[in-house]
Amino acid sequence: YRAAIETEKRICGLVATDSCTRWLDAHYDPVANLYTFSSCIGNGDSLVVGDLGTGACNIKLKVYKGTSLVSENTLLDLPTGLVSFHMDQHEPRTPAIAVASGPFIYVYKNLRPYFKFTLPPLEVNPLEQEVWTQAKEVRRERYGPHLHTSCSRRFSFPLGRFLMLDPQEMETYVNLHKQQPLRRQTVITCISTLKKNMAEEDAVSCLVIGAESKDIYVLDPEAFTVLSKMSLPSVPTLIDVTGQFDVEFRITVACRNGNIYILRRDSPKPKYCIELTSHPVGLVRIGKNVVVGCAQETLLSYTQKGKKLWTVYLPAPVMTMGLMDHHTRGFQAVLVGLSNCQVQLYRDKNLLNIVKTPDVVTSICFGRFGREDGSLIMTTKGGGLIVKILKRTAVFDDRDTAPGPPLAQSIRLNVPKKTKLYVDQTMRERENAVAMHRAFQMDLSRLRLASARAYVKALESSLTPMSASLSEPLKMNAVVQGLGPSFKLTLNVQNTAACRPVMNLAVSFLYDEALYSMRPSFFKIPLLVPGLNYPIDAFVECLVDKGISDIIKVFVLQQGKSAPLLTAHINMPVSEGLPLN
Amino acid sequence: MGLFDKLAGWLGLKKKEVNVLCLGLDNSGKTTIINQLKPSNAQTQDIVPTIGFSIEKFKTSSLSFTVFDMSGQGRYRNLWEHYYKEGQAIIFVIDSGDKLRMVVAKEELDTLLNHPDIKHRRIPILFFANKMDLRDALSSVKVSQLLCLENIKDKPWHICASDALKGEGLQEGNKFSSCLALFHIEMHLGIIGRIIVVKLALVVK
Ligand SMILES: Nc1nc2c(ncn2[C@@H]2O[C@H](COP(=O)(O)OP(=O)(O)OP(=O)(O)O)[C@@H](O)[C@H]2O)c(=O)[nH]1
Ligand SMILES: [Mg+2]
Repeated sequence: YRAAIETEKRICGLVATDSCTRWLDAHYDPVANLYTFSSCIGNGDSLVVGDLGTGACNIKLKVYKGTSLVSENTLLDLPTGLVSFHMDQHEPRTPAIAVASGPFIYVYKNLRPYFKFTLPPLEVNPLEQEVWTQAKEVRRERYGPHLHTSCSRRFSFPLGRFLMLDPQEMETYVNLHKQQPLRRQTVITCISTLKKNMAEEDAVSCLVIGAESKDIYVLDPEAFTVLSKMSLPSVPTLIDVTGQFDVEFRITVACRNGNIYILRRDSPKPKYCIELTSHPVGLVRIGKNVVVGCAQETLLSYTQKGKKLWTVYLPAPVMTMGLMDHHTRGFQAVLVGLSNCQVQLYRDKNLLNIVKTPDVVTSICFGRFGREDGSLIMTTKGGGLIVKILKRTAVFDDRDTAPGPPLAQSIRLNVPKKTKLYVDQTMRERENAVAMHRAFQMDLSRLRLASARAYVKALESSLTPMSASLSEPLKMNAVVQGLGPSFKLTLNVQNTAACRPVMNLAVSFLYDEALYSMRPSFFKIPLLVPGLNYPIDAFVECLVDKGISDIIKVFVLQQGKSAPLLTAHINMPVSEGLPLN
Repeated sequence: MGLFDKLAGWLGLKKKEVNVLCLGLDNSGKTTIINQLKPSNAQTQDIVPTIGFSIEKFKTSSLSFTVFDMSGQGRYRNLWEHYYKEGQAIIFVIDSGDKLRMVVAKEELDTLLNHPDIKHRRIPILFFANKMDLRDALSSVKVSQLLCLENIKDKPWHICASDALKGEGLQEGNKFSSCLALFHIEMHLGIIGRIIVVKLALVVK
């Protein structure tokens, strides 16, 4: 993965240096005050932007002709999507603009408000209805908890607010709202268009909207009636639609649960599901495949049946995505805006071009702007507007710059032929895999048991060089020096407690008195300060010169306790020297 | 008989054929300008975007022009270079109201100036900063700045603001016609220059 990123970086460098001349810088206004996302921006004769404003003010529908702002319409609520579409056959064929905001779609014709559509309200839970009719007399305590368990979803207006109020506020609230019937209203989360029954660029299109209620609606272009309603397992956030409503169509939606669902005509439920490993940030369809930008700095491509085609690792998180569809040149690619102030252009998994921007790009839109077909329109985090125009002579060569497997990987190695032994073994393994696995597991369990037993035994008999006692945590090791017959035995004793000193300890040796003599063989240890290492020397004399050796056992004892705190077995070396006399 | 006609007559350039290329982005007003140059009885009322190119011929007393009115649409711009060789003068029209595409105009102009058939020739260029009547039109000074015209050192050039719809200047005898007059001088100078070189060559012989 690292290596892939490194290669990527190197290639990025390469691509960037030879390609900065493909775009003309037509316009850059760093203080255009446009705060928007790719879903709220539309191009054509003019540039239409659903401006989210700053905070709750300045939410506007802005229209640019060329570099100048030609119209502004105040919007009541934040826009969630904007599309331009032809709603009728009238001449001249100027498209209408639909802006989704809250539960409404505002339709503009010739930049003038034309029609407002409201999503049909959802059904009200009968229990809620009952509570609201009784709410004037009944206190919340009797119904609130009961209701909370029975409707897990959001409450209808105005009941939801009512349930959150303090008891003393309830009465005023009920009096204020008691005339109103209960209603449950969902809001639009995404919007797109779908040609009714003709494929032409300016054919009449239906609006397709995704709602917070996990539904997809297809609306009739003229009557604004719901032509079709489909349900999803989660809330749609990004939508792409292709085909014709009366013939065959496909709706691809990325949802808040991190899945992508593909819906088709004649099926009210998703046909295919793509489960992503991280949340989708951008969704673009190229021909029949979808390209998804994910939160994990990856770009993934899937077929329309949900089969994964490729993955590209990006150098920075994805901010936004857009389709670069240059009709006159028959060129299609995906634009990916990254948080490192780059917009990268991918055709399949090949990085073709990098556009560096002065600020992080939050919305991208490629296409016709005025008279220029190859316009790249971007808005930035700081509210800037950037317009670049693709040079007439620019070409993107399709050289495969993907950081694929290294070349060496395809060189055939001279692998020796399989031996009979190997083949037999493989056969045996294949045939007895289950039995082998069981035998291995059995042995493993036995081993674990044996070691656990040994450990317990060691703890019980204080045979370890580490004290198991919590009150006197001690550590000891021993070193033997000398060739013989005199040896020096150094015991390093350490109190491993955090701050408590240890007192009243003694050391005693146990050995074969026919072989060794020790002076002294029992002594007291001074107070042990925590953390310090105390070297204690003892001298051992080997009494025989027959070339044999034995074990000397060391016990660290505490006054008043019969069991030693620590035990060490020292394997004495063979005495190689001769006694002096 | 004007001074230039006299001059032309003196130089023996009577009814000299001059090929003029009219270039510029689509919608800049090339066809409209050329239409205005025609005698009023030959002018057309409705001007549609040019497809490919069209050829117009008209005469002043001393010169007979053949104007190649090229289409400025992106897909036809690659036709331009095929006429560079024959061209003896260039009219380059800019829509001064189209700020967004000023870079595109500059790009096409630079490509033109760097073309091998143009680069080393002292071919005169007349720029029209057209549509000056538009409210937010850039001035001819601003246009020449944006196109970096001051960098053109080896070719005679001139820029003037124009309103091709009204034919501003043509009737009143101001800017538009003086531009054309100047344009004539430049062309003559070009031709005179060449004649002098020829004469010098003869003298040396
Ligand atoms: N306001 C204004 N409009 C003009 C002016 N000159 C031309 N136009 C208009 O601009 C539009 C395009 O003019 P054309 O002459 O067809 O432009 P062109 O450069 O020949 O365009 P192509 O043939 O496509 O390359 C027409 O609608 C003209 O009426 C002008 O000076 N002012
Ligand atoms: Mg024309």
